Amino acid sequence: MSPVLEARELHRHFGGVKAVNGISFAVAEREILGVIGPNGSGKSTLFNCLLGQIAPSSGRVLLDGVDVTGLRPSELNRRGVSRTFQLLQVFPQLSVRENLILAGQEHVGGRIRRLFGRPDAGLGGAADHMMELFRLTHLSALLAGSLSYGQQKLLDAAMAFMAGPRLVLLDEPAGGVNLTLLGAFRERLRAMNAEAGATFVVIEHNMDFVMSLCSRVICIAEGRIIADGLPGEVRENPEVIEAYLGH
Amino acid sequence: MAALIAQLLISGLATGAVYALVAIGFSLLWQGAQTVNFAQGDFVTLPAFLILAGTALGLPFWAALLAAMVLAAAILGLLFKRILVDPMLRHGAMPLTIATMALSIFLENAMKNAASAEAYPFPGLNGGITLGPLFLDWQSIMVLGVAVVAVVALTLFLSRTRTGRAIQATAQNPAVARLLGIDVGRMVLITFLINAVLVTIAAALISPIYLVKFDNGAQIGLSAFCAAIVGGFNQVRGAVAGGLLLGVTEMFAATYGPDQYRAAVPMVLLIVFILFRPQGILGRAEERRV
Repeated sequence: MSPVLEARELHRHFGGVKAVNGISFAVAEREILGVIGPNGSGKSTLFNCLLGQIAPSSGRVLLDGVDVTGLRPSELNRRGVSRTFQLLQVFPQLSVRENLILAGQEHVGGRIRRLFGRPDAGLGGAADHMMELFRLTHLSALLAGSLSYGQQKLLDAAMAFMAGPRLVLLDEPAGGVNLTLLGAFRERLRAMNAEAGATFVVIEHNMDFVMSLCSRVICIAEGRIIADGLPGEVRENPEVIEAYLGH
Repeated sequence: MAALIAQLLISGLATGAVYALVAIGFSLLWQGAQTVNFAQGDFVTLPAFLILAGTALGLPFWAALLAAMVLAAAILGLLFKRILVDPMLRHGAMPLTIATMALSIFLENAMKNAASAEAYPFPGLNGGITLGPLFLDWQSIMVLGVAVVAVVALTLFLSRTRTGRAIQATAQNPAVARLLGIDVGRMVLITFLINAVLVTIAAALISPIYLVKFDNGAQIGLSAFCAAIVGGFNQVRGAVAGGLLLGVTEMFAATYGPDQYRAAVPMVLLIVFILFRPQGILGRAEERRV
């Protein structure tokens, strides 16, 4: 069985800077893969290559064994790839519920149904369920822009699951979230992984969050993978420690 | 005295309702394509001429109105977007804004060449109803009624339909909307088409009062632009509030002040708001991180 996501010899150069320098890895179904690395190591560039937001200089990205290199993010979204954002990207003047419905509505029905179909696109139940899972039910009618930063992070994550994705890429989901919310957030992600069978790739600087959530971790430094293994193994890897401490 | 004030209020609200329709167009184009359309006033004049042309060809008024709406959607919606907005927006909002000024000059001169500088009468409703000391003319009542229906319909469309929600998302964050699979280009086009329909309705409502003349657009456009800013540029409700406030203010200023300064009222109101409430009546103060 082919992996859900596979990167093969990905390179991305900016002039003489090799931001991504020959990265290869595969993510199995239902796996939660953590991607760590010091600032400037190439994590975000790798993410952008995987998501079609920038084209790799060379190498390939495969989704379920199919080459999707260079496909636009919206096309990847239609193929079941969803993402959250490092910086908040909810729609501030829509309610929490509207944000959730919006995140899934383009996957439901054709042009005629979009114009004349039910306003909630038949996603009202799914939105309610997602709000329940991410503890947002009491905020349903509030404008997303009026929520706290942590609540908006939860909403951003919940939106990523509205289209029933197979693969979700989470970009620093724990950034700026307070400790109380963070624990609940981790549990929600675990639940989504178990219940919906979604596969995750998580970029994160919060080591405790990564180590307690992910089933496998890769560490990137200077555009290359320097460690790949179980969270405990990677944490103890001398090369990883050196990359972080800058020795 | 009370009757006069009520009378002025109703007349002001009727004029303001037309400003509101045109101001909504300003807001929609700003949200959809970061376009400040300085030809918006001329966008009101052109459909008025189209309606007159339709009636001159023997069409009944309602058919001429519908035909004008379709033509306006094609010219002021589709062509405007494809020929001017799309190519110019690649160079930034400012070149596009300047291009709309050029378009305004072009449209005015084209209409003058085609229809002369004469002011043409436009069919409207005569008479009215007397309620105690108040006389309500049918034209003002119809203007208010149609404007209310148009605004309510637009609001329901934007808030209660999938397409409306996608238009709002496109206005708020086009990059993420695109990522979610929304056809951003189509949503922006729909926004332009909505604007074309709104200006055609505004043309039919205001032309019986101002007649149809090639350069009417300058004043209507300026008033609606001020109304949109006074209301809060980034939302439909704000444009409505700004339009109504401006209409009423103009009416009272013209009655109790020197009439020759009436044209300055929108700018004075604009300056007052910029000084004391720059985000407008219903607008939100926007934060910027530096």
